[in-house]
Amino acid sequence: MRKWFARLAVLGVALLVAGQGQVALAQEPGAGKKVLRVGATQAVDSMNPFLAVRVVSTQVHRWMYGFLTVPDSKTLQPSPDLAESWTTSDDGLTWTFKIRQTKWSDGKPVTAEDAAWTFNKIMTDDAAKTANGPAVENFESVTANGQDLVIKLKAPQASMLDNPIPIMPKHAWEGVTDLANFDGDKYPSVSSGPYVATEHKKDQYIKLKANPSYWRGAPKVDELQVIFYDNPQAAIAGLKKGDIDLIGRLNPPEFEAMKGDPNIEQWNTQGRRAAYLQINHGATTTDNKPVGDGHPALKDVKVRQALHHAIDKQKLVDEVWGGLARPADGSIVPPMFKDFFWEATGETKVTHDVAKANQILDDAGYKKGADGVRTMPDGKRKLEFRFTIHADTPIEDKLAEYLTGFFKEIGITLTTVKLDSSKFSDETGVAATFDIAISGWSVNPDPEEVLATHLCSRRPTPAGEGGGTESFYCDPTFEKLYQEQLKELDRTKRAGIIKQMLERLYTDAPVIALYYPNNLEGYRKDRVTAITPIPEEKGLLYGGSSYWPFYTVDVKAASAGGSGGADGGSNTGLIAGIVGGVVVLGLAAFLLTRRRKSAADDRE
Amino acid sequence: MTTPLESAEPAVAQAAGSSGSAEDRPAGRSTLRYAASKAGGAVLSIVMVIVGTFFVFRLLPGDPVRNLAQGRRMTPEQLDLERRRLGLDKPLLDQFFDFVGQTLRLDLGTSYEYKRPVLDLIGERIGATLLLTGTGLVIAVSLGIWQGTRAGWRHGSRFDRVSTGVSLLLWSVPTFWLGLLLMMTFGVGIGPIPGVLPFRGIESVDAPDGFGYLLDVASHMVLPCLTLVAVVYAQYLLVMRSSLLEEVSQDYVNVARAKGLRDDEVRRRHAVPNALLPTVTLVFLRIGFIVGGAVTVEYIFTWPGLGQLFYEAIKVPDFTLMQGTFMLITVSVIVMNTLADVVYHVLDPRVRTA
Repeated sequence: MRKWFARLAVLGVALLVAGQGQVALAQEPGAGKKVLRVGATQAVDSMNPFLAVRVVSTQVHRWMYGFLTVPDSKTLQPSPDLAESWTTSDDGLTWTFKIRQTKWSDGKPVTAEDAAWTFNKIMTDDAAKTANGPAVENFESVTANGQDLVIKLKAPQASMLDNPIPIMPKHAWEGVTDLANFDGDKYPSVSSGPYVATEHKKDQYIKLKANPSYWRGAPKVDELQVIFYDNPQAAIAGLKKGDIDLIGRLNPPEFEAMKGDPNIEQWNTQGRRAAYLQINHGATTTDNKPVGDGHPALKDVKVRQALHHAIDKQKLVDEVWGGLARPADGSIVPPMFKDFFWEATGETKVTHDVAKANQILDDAGYKKGADGVRTMPDGKRKLEFRFTIHADTPIEDKLAEYLTGFFKEIGITLTTVKLDSSKFSDETGVAATFDIAISGWSVNPDPEEVLATHLCSRRPTPAGEGGGTESFYCDPTFEKLYQEQLKELDRTKRAGIIKQMLERLYTDAPVIALYYPNNLEGYRKDRVTAITPIPEEKGLLYGGSSYWPFYTVDVKAASAGGSGGADGGSNTGLIAGIVGGVVVLGLAAFLLTRRRKSAADDRE
Repeated sequence: MTTPLESAEPAVAQAAGSSGSAEDRPAGRSTLRYAASKAGGAVLSIVMVIVGTFFVFRLLPGDPVRNLAQGRRMTPEQLDLERRRLGLDKPLLDQFFDFVGQTLRLDLGTSYEYKRPVLDLIGERIGATLLLTGTGLVIAVSLGIWQGTRAGWRHGSRFDRVSTGVSLLLWSVPTFWLGLLLMMTFGVGIGPIPGVLPFRGIESVDAPDGFGYLLDVASHMVLPCLTLVAVVYAQYLLVMRSSLLEEVSQDYVNVARAKGLRDDEVRRRHAVPNALLPTVTLVFLRIGFIVGGAVTVEYIFTWPGLGQLFYEAIKVPDFTLMQGTFMLITVSVIVMNTLADVVYHVLDPRVRTA
């Protein structure tokens, strides 16, 4: 009897569960709603744009807040955003921006006072400097007058129109007293960009809704979700299953894993990044004193050039990157930035030529010993270099194998040193205890910052404070050209100077560019019906530094009844929940009946 | 768990035979004294953990301030400022005393990365971790004890060979690999197997309210729990099996049989309660580790728990956050260890008299 009773009870509960599920299914919201779900393999560190430094956070903030200017979707040249227009004084020190007549998402007008407050906050409040401190370093003063914003500079700065600071609503943020400990989690956000953030579950997801009062007009999708995955494999699985619609910033194995899925568009375009070898050519600190223990042979530009000749970049692209990169015949600015890209041609071009590399080293007096390894001209030290890479990056392991082979052919031994990322940046950016190291940089539409990483002033201080150098480079020619381009407000002329700087880096070889990795992304073609990359011709989606793709994106609306892809995820989740619940209850019933049985046995 | 712990004690007392009620009162006092001495040892361990934590985390390579910038440039003044804000400019000894003082006030500091109190961050995530690892532990212990009992009782039977073999196989499988395999099979779906189970996080983005929400969370727990259980239940099975094997040959079991008790009863009322003792200890030890979560499983399934927090902290490295989570984990292990000692003392009179 008891057995039957228990089983009936379980059946009842199971039916109740199933019934609840039905109700929940019927309540499923969102029929006719357009939702784009973007996968991210990085969690948001802060929703306070003054503090947030992670890529995913700055990306989300780009969708929420306006900037002074935004890269044009076709040319990537600075174009109006919250600043409608601007003028510059003759000395290049005073910039006047006319702020657009538009509204914040809470209905208050956007004024120059908002912009002035934002910049002044960063200039005066130490906590506010966290994310974008260097971007106001050159600002003398910022004042507002109606819709006019006047920025006075300490020295001319041509990159003024690539300012990375989002303009914040003064009225919503000036009340924040302790900015250093404010995580910005107040929803809905007060925004001037295409989207308004409405919900943030930490390390889980962010929801943004279309901003109906956006000055360009509301975006086509109703809701944008950024869904966080700890591990990239799970994110790819999520894309395949249809839990997310789009994912960016993939590496080649992740990209290849999407192959063959009829619903997924593999998005493979030229990227923002240049990968290069950083060569310790005699590292010094800002007071020009030697630092570190770099191999003396690398001070010789001939050795650096010989190394350059020995590298088969095409082979690296084909075999290390599976063809998903472009061999670099230029320097640290990749070809997607057409205006500034410089490529070596004719005599200057360093071709893959082992014989020539050997010739250069022979002529310079680096004789080969009996073991085939060259020694310094004074015969004291062998040409044995360390190659420093990151410990957790398999693709760099592979690169190290190939480079070791290439350099062996010219009588140079390469041994690999693997370091975890914090130690890596210490040794290759401050202590200079390396010979050759892998490096790379994602370039902005204005390349000033990447050029600045090779300035004398970026070397570490004598006290060992790192300044952000990428090469320990300190070259008078390069410094002079850098100062010239800062003052040059004519874009074409400035691009000319920048190309000279790139050529200098190429021939003097403190860094040797290897390849430009492609930008690899993927999206569901059965869900995303339209998306405009930046630049429009073969550009980036998630990886681009602009809201453009996510403003223009359109997706299929969720269909009623929950059969559409958009809410399929939660429905299957619900069904799985029901199944799981029933299994658990069944198990409980099993154990219960067993106990009953044994209890009955006891009484026998 | 078919045999609750309360029923174990009388059985033990019974089995121990001559220990009359006269001995019970002194035993109670001795237990108190015993517990006190154990607690003293635990406090000492915790103090050493606090001291050790501080210095160990200072020995790690990498400059936290530069790591904070995440590749962005910071001016030297900014670096200086951050260093002062985090108290890293002070002499090591001052930093240490600050640290001890704060820790005693249960202030675990402010996370470098999230810029929020570590205690808050832990508080936000501890629920998710307890839910996942707690459920996993209950299932793994039940499964392990049940299978171990059957396997030990019918030593050498097919059930014994199969269950022991399978559990050992799963025990030796890398968690990461098994997790991904389960994800691809039951999450995405292979061939005829439909992928219906969610494999990201603790809830759907558009999770329903009320009862539907509970189901949603339950469905999110299935795969991480399965992974967690599959990898660890072998230890309970093996301990239970081997300790039951030891009991099977004991005289009191023969006596029980001689009394004419049925096989089932001999096992359940005499052998199992005694064999449970080592398993109980093991369970208590594992409870200590619950708080630490399962870093790998949380990482695979994006479970927003302490394991994930610890992993993120190591990546930065976020000293205060690492210190905080590390201390929480070690302290809970120490506390549970102590508790296991005391419980064992209570459960097994042989330990008391020894």
